Amino acid sequence: MLSYRPGETFAHRLDPRSKLLVQFGLAVAVVAHPTVPWLAAATLFGLLAVAAARLSPLAVLRSYRVVFGVLALAPVLAGLTLGPPWFRVDPALRSARLVARVVPVLFVSAAYLRSTPVRETRAAVQRVVPGKAGQLLGVGTALVVRLFPVVLGDVREIRDAIRARGGERRPPWERARLLVVRSLERTLARSDRLGVALRARCFAWNPTLPPLAFARADYPVLALGLALSLSPALALL
Amino acid sequence: MSQEYASVDLVGDETVKHFTQAVLVAALTAALSQVSIPLPGTLPPFSLQPFGMFFAGLLLGPLWGGFALALYLLVGIAGVPVFSNGNAGLGYVLVGQGTGGFLVGFLVGSVVAGAVVHRGVEPRDLAAVSVPVQIVGLFAALVVVYAIGVPWLSAVTGLPLPKAAAVMAPFVPLDLLKLGIAVAIVEGGYLARR
Repeated sequence: MLSYRPGETFAHRLDPRSKLLVQFGLAVAVVAHPTVPWLAAATLFGLLAVAAARLSPLAVLRSYRVVFGVLALAPVLAGLTLGPPWFRVDPALRSARLVARVVPVLFVSAAYLRSTPVRETRAAVQRVVPGKAGQLLGVGTALVVRLFPVVLGDVREIRDAIRARGGERRPPWERARLLVVRSLERTLARSDRLGVALRARCFAWNPTLPPLAFARADYPVLALGLALSLSPALALL
Repeated sequence: MSQEYASVDLVGDETVKHFTQAVLVAALTAALSQVSIPLPGTLPPFSLQPFGMFFAGLLLGPLWGGFALALYLLVGIAGVPVFSNGNAGLGYVLVGQGTGGFLVGFLVGSVVAGAVVHRGVEPRDLAAVSVPVQIVGLFAALVVVYAIGVPWLSAVTGLPLPKAAAVMAPFVPLDLLKLGIAVAIVEGGYLARR
């Protein structure tokens, strides 16, 4: 999977809020306008976005290869019929056109992942969601990022332990129950320790945040994101 | 010194407790999404992902359960590979392989399960909740997941709704089995210390 790499590209310099809005806007726009001109423009925009993050389109295709593989099945499934003629071209083509619009959205998403450290997304969430809810979401995001590998390690360790004790011979639901119970126990024990640690460190509603500021380059990106998000309303005019 | 102390607005103990549980349930949901048990034959693998939603609703109630699943989605959007097959990104959630609706469905489902089981924002002791109520809560969550996920899949991939439903149909009996396992875990007293 693609992940953040430090850099000085155009995409790196943008504020995470404008980048998130542009991703959302593009997804709204391609869903609202499944036409060929919109698709072509969106694909061009997706390629520009990965170029702005100095990311190879091939690397994006490689990292989302499972997703693209599953998506490629959709037109085949859509075209299949249960009796003669067994395969109809029209629904398959329609599905292929709808599936093609996913590609630019994933390209822009990949550019975001490559150019945005997690702490910037966290700061963006905390700025956008007001009050205590935003603060808890921000701190929570940071903690989940930190604890995910730890808990994943726990779950894999328990799975290996069950396997080492001949668990493979048990029925799947029993293995699932054992795995979930042990994982939950460890997870809740970690939660208790995290709670003590947070209180010991004066977990407060008013800590200091990293600074975020819109630069000049952000305004056109923000405007584009807004315009794309509102583009379905064009049809109403 | 008293002035400095007064400027720190500490988070309350009860909030810290719910918050850390939600954080860890989010991390557990992410971890369980990476692990599945292979089933014999042509059956789809037995994914453990729905347990995250079930226990978010059962243990944390609608507010903190929903918060836990929101954290799970946010971390994935921020770029941590927490979705199944190690995927990440806002694009994956919104369109992805068409399964983004199930991820959003898990969030809404945890709120629904929590609301049915706990009948309020504050989570109550699970020993006081009868088995039928637990089953109804988790079943309602599954209904919500499919009600959001299947039309979403159909919209993204262009499959007609009945075909999209047929694609997801093999997962329904497995999800019902997972529901049974979750209730058995609660009733087996494995979480009694909590």
